[in-house]
Amino acid sequence: MLNYTIRRLMFAIPTLFVISFIIFAILDLSPGDPTGNLPLTIPPDVREKIRESLGLGQPFPIRYLKWCQQFFVNEPLNLIENWTGWTIGDGERLRVTSWSTRSPVVDLIAERMPQTLWVVGMSYVVAILIAIPIGVISAYRQYSLFDQIGTFVSMVGFSVPTFFTGLILIVVFSVNLGWLPSVYDTTHKVTDWSSFWVQVRQMAMPTMVLALATTAQLSRFMRASMLDNLNQDYVRTARAKGLRERSVVLIHVLRNSMIPVVTVIALGVPAIFGGAIITEQIFKVNGLGALLIIGIQGADIPLVQTLTFLFAVLIVFFNLIADLLYGILDPRIRYD
Amino acid sequence: MRVKHLLSGACAAAMLAGAAYAERGADGQLNIIYWQAPSTMNPYLSGGTKEVEAASMVVEPLASYDENGNIVPRLVDELPTVDNGGVSADLKSIIWVLKEGILWSDGSPLTAADAVFTWEYCTHPEGGCAQSSYFDGVTSVEAVDDRTIKINFADPKPYPYTALVGAESPIIQKAQFQDCMGAKAPECTDQNFGPIGTGPFVVTEFKANDVISLEANSNYRDANKPAFGSVLFKGGGDAAAAARSVLETSEFDYAWNLQIEPEVLTQMEAQGKGKVVVSFQTSVERLHLNQTNPDPSLGDMRAVYAEGENAHPFLTDPAVGKAMSMAIDRDILVEAGYGKTGQVTCNVLPAPEIYASTANDACKTQDIEGAKAVLDAAGWVPGSDGVREKDGVRLSVLYQTSTNSVRQGTQALVKQMWAEIGIEAELRNIDASVFFGGDPSSPDTFQKFYADVEMYTNNFSGADPEAYMANWRCSEIPTPDTQWQGSNIQRFCNPAYDALVDEMSQTADLNERGRLAKEMNDMLMESYSIIPLVHRGGTSAHANSLGGVKMTDWDSELWNIADWHRIK
Amino acid sequence: MLDEAPKILVSVRGLKMHFAIHKGLLRRQVGTVKAVDDVSFDIYEGETLGLVGESGCGKSTAGRSILRLYDPTDGVVELEGQDIVPVTGERLRDLRPAMQMIFQDPQACLNPRMTVGSIIAEPLDEHLKLSRTERRNRVNELMDAVGLNRDFANRYPHEFSGGQRQRIGIARALALNPKFIVCDEPIAALDVSIQAQVVNLLEDLQRKFGLTYLFISHDLSMVRHLATRVAVMYLGKIVELAPRDALYSAPMHPYTQALLSAVPDPDPNAAERKERIILEGDVPSPANPPEGCNFCTRCAQVMDICRKIEPEWRDHGNGHYAACHRLGEA
Ligand SMILES: Nc1ncnc2c1ncn2[C@@H]1O[C@H](COP(=O)(O)OP(=O)(O)O)[C@@H](O)[C@H]1O
Ligand SMILES: [Mg+2]
Repeated sequence: MLNYTIRRLMFAIPTLFVISFIIFAILDLSPGDPTGNLPLTIPPDVREKIRESLGLGQPFPIRYLKWCQQFFVNEPLNLIENWTGWTIGDGERLRVTSWSTRSPVVDLIAERMPQTLWVVGMSYVVAILIAIPIGVISAYRQYSLFDQIGTFVSMVGFSVPTFFTGLILIVVFSVNLGWLPSVYDTTHKVTDWSSFWVQVRQMAMPTMVLALATTAQLSRFMRASMLDNLNQDYVRTARAKGLRERSVVLIHVLRNSMIPVVTVIALGVPAIFGGAIITEQIFKVNGLGALLIIGIQGADIPLVQTLTFLFAVLIVFFNLIADLLYGILDPRIRYD
Repeated sequence: MRVKHLLSGACAAAMLAGAAYAERGADGQLNIIYWQAPSTMNPYLSGGTKEVEAASMVVEPLASYDENGNIVPRLVDELPTVDNGGVSADLKSIIWVLKEGILWSDGSPLTAADAVFTWEYCTHPEGGCAQSSYFDGVTSVEAVDDRTIKINFADPKPYPYTALVGAESPIIQKAQFQDCMGAKAPECTDQNFGPIGTGPFVVTEFKANDVISLEANSNYRDANKPAFGSVLFKGGGDAAAAARSVLETSEFDYAWNLQIEPEVLTQMEAQGKGKVVVSFQTSVERLHLNQTNPDPSLGDMRAVYAEGENAHPFLTDPAVGKAMSMAIDRDILVEAGYGKTGQVTCNVLPAPEIYASTANDACKTQDIEGAKAVLDAAGWVPGSDGVREKDGVRLSVLYQTSTNSVRQGTQALVKQMWAEIGIEAELRNIDASVFFGGDPSSPDTFQKFYADVEMYTNNFSGADPEAYMANWRCSEIPTPDTQWQGSNIQRFCNPAYDALVDEMSQTADLNERGRLAKEMNDMLMESYSIIPLVHRGGTSAHANSLGGVKMTDWDSELWNIADWHRIK
Repeated sequence: MLDEAPKILVSVRGLKMHFAIHKGLLRRQVGTVKAVDDVSFDIYEGETLGLVGESGCGKSTAGRSILRLYDPTDGVVELEGQDIVPVTGERLRDLRPAMQMIFQDPQACLNPRMTVGSIIAEPLDEHLKLSRTERRNRVNELMDAVGLNRDFANRYPHEFSGGQRQRIGIARALALNPKFIVCDEPIAALDVSIQAQVVNLLEDLQRKFGLTYLFISHDLSMVRHLATRVAVMYLGKIVELAPRDALYSAPMHPYTQALLSAVPDPDPNAAERKERIILEGDVPSPANPPEGCNFCTRCAQVMDICRKIEPEWRDHGNGHYAACHRLGEA
């Protein structure tokens, strides 16, 4: 397993370099101008100056290598400096800098990580907590009323887009009932119970909107996996052993059904970091998804490049995690 | 908003005396939502409206424009003019005298050296300063003494209120920014996100593209202002959501730039929680009629101006442009796409009042029959398919604009109106980031203008149209030689017009400048290379409980935020 | 054995197991699969009753219903005189140790995420209070009994060969000292070379522990080797039941005759004499069995009456039972 992990990690390095190059090339080829969103009152020669100051005048390979150096050398060094308090070299290094904010991209990402993890991550947790019992019960009582309702709800979750559910929730809970805020306050800090309650209230709607969509998928998946296992002979064996029905379902069936579900869950984790572009927009959570979309709209290439690349890293990494988890959970799988 | 209610209860007794006696910070928190979030607090590094407006709460120019487009002193006691000797007789310099005792938010005094530094900062060749056009023609800025700033111009500057006037060119603190010159500018993240200013508020936390927290500047020059102790300036979402958060859920006090369907806005306003405010500046949605030939078969010469050669086959005929203009019912366009945020206009320069011509007002009413008559007289007669033609040239145009639901609605309406007089239009829309993106390698930019007609909005900042009207000089035509840069998009060229531009740059008298501007406007209108459609206003909304808002489109909407207060 | 008036261990009367069929958007019940439809027979203590029939005729369902792995639709199943059909829940759990099952697919019937040791030990934990060492000893004992190396207790099922896996399944079934074991085609999934080993093991164990088997198989020659009596099933019903030799030498029911004619006879002379009866057509669906005799659609000797009236289940002497109109006539 260890060998396998190391081999996979080593293979990931060239893969990621290729990915970074492809991302860079695509971004470079795509139309868009960082000064394109400026008011027309700003004259063309000023725009040209701005572009020059952003380093856009340089040729493509130089810009790519610069980015590589900034991202793979300068940023890690900077991180080390921040953690340890040492100064490496003269401490003066060019970091990956966003064109629109003129601030280090990594800082922007770090700033937005909390709200994304809170909202999107929590929605994932909520979705898992809801989806697994629903999937288990739906499968165990296949075609029962519960299963029918579950099927219907997940159909809704699948087919209704988040911008629609989000808007409906806002209209009902913010506009009509006035119970929940429609705008997420990222400056809110949780210090005591009442501020925690405020946090819960402002997270409620975006979390639920996202959780609905994820629950729909996961619960279907869980159900299918349970059904696969419920009809297996080993379940009959367990019953023949005289186990309680609870142990049969929760220990034998659920444990085996969780194997594919766990890997699907692991593969979904990078998407959390990707944020939820639409939902973040609706509730103004301004997490990583919103950051990415602003970057794309503003042709902020360093920002988009860095974010997309980080997503690529996460995807590669969690693919590995999923594979390893599979190996740990399922004794039939062996990596060597 | 819970906080609001709590505060209003707690402060009710103290506040009985009324807003006039309010103390600084007594009105609690002000919540502002800009659906496009500011990316920096340094307007010199961004140039975007949202950044300029956010920064205007913190850093200030010498003078601002009020809600009517009048210039008002801000950091000075008196506006320098030729009459009071502030502007030299040869129009080549202006002297501003700072108010006494103005402090930066860190407690240090504001001096003329800061103004000099600001000029140096923005004109540094490697800085990429987005507002450097405000310093065009400035040869030097001098600190005559601590409070006296002298700005020297290369040529006589009849309208000298550009440098350090208006929210786009505020004074920044030398002490804070002196290590951030030129190429170093982007590295100064702390400075750019938290500039020290003389304005009513100070940044406490800046989250780029997300939210800004500010608190009242304890060193602000008016001891009783601002009435609000803190500001939460939230960004993100979309215009409709921003409107909703003020007009429907009351979570926010002020929302900016609410370009949404007019009916939707009216419905929201009808809930009675807030007001929609509109201010008209100089934004005009207009059609540009290509004066050069965009025929694809021309290859490299496509839409390239060549001293009158390569002219458009029919759009250089003013009769065609005139008929096109007459056929348009602008009232319908306003009603369908703009509601109270638009007005019919027949001028490309619709304001300020002294510059607004009335000579072209006939266009305000649609005249189909008249348009047909004009075309008939010019020899354009309907062909077999109803499209007019002359000498084998058909009146068929490619009409492009950026992708935007209102614009596509307008396109469809105009196409119908033109069909009535026998002009055929093919519609096309291009993603805004490409259309306005200015990429010289893209065929779809508005500057390249590979179409017959295109539509968009333009305006100018400040209240003086001199530079704006100079956009249509022959030398401003975008060509391959200029990398397709240039502001004379429709490729209009008239030596008489250029002469007027030159004359205006020599004229200091306001009335005379007004006459010249009108004459230029009329000349453009009569060439029918530009057909103005709608005079567009800025739209914002504020809660009923928010007082003191003087919505302006001439300057930052937040220009007088120091006077905003809670109405009890 | 038969002379000693043997004791009946399991008695099945009128056992029915019908599965509901759901169809359509709302999954309404549209019919039933009569997998086992009115089956009656006895199993004597210490004997091996063979249950044969084509695949899909309901053998496994019958076995599972008898062990109460299903809730039978109707009928009586008495284990040592106690009707276990109405028993549920905890009381049913208490009955489990006495009756066990060995499954056809030795891979599928073992939980892939449990080690062999815990698979065997699980029923012990569930039903007995044993100390750790007692439990380990018992597991070792069982592994010895089925011929598995004790050291393999910490391995997972997938690490074993098919025959070894079936031994695990057997050890597991033996864990609680059952009296009665249903062997549902325990060798069908194994290589021929290993089949004999497992069959021998089953026979050894039967002798050693005094077990009673219901041995389900579609392999008539293996049943002939193992069983004392044989029951033949067709489409949810038992069509013939007889002592082994009687059944193989003088089958009464046309279906049994057809089945036997397909078996290669070890005696070449007999093989020459035998005329092969080939069954035509497919087995009808148990959801929609034919009227009258279930076998009427494929029977070579079909008569009119067969299509109308269900033949009676009758004793034809010497413990030879069959249900066929032709026999009534004779
Ligand atoms: N759980 C079930 N639900 C519905 N039908 C079933 C179920 N189990 C078995 N059947 C049906 O009952 C019939 C008998 O199946 P089975 O007992 O497995 O046959 P055998 O073991 O003789 O091959 C088959 O037609 C099968 O499709
Ligand atoms: Mg079977």
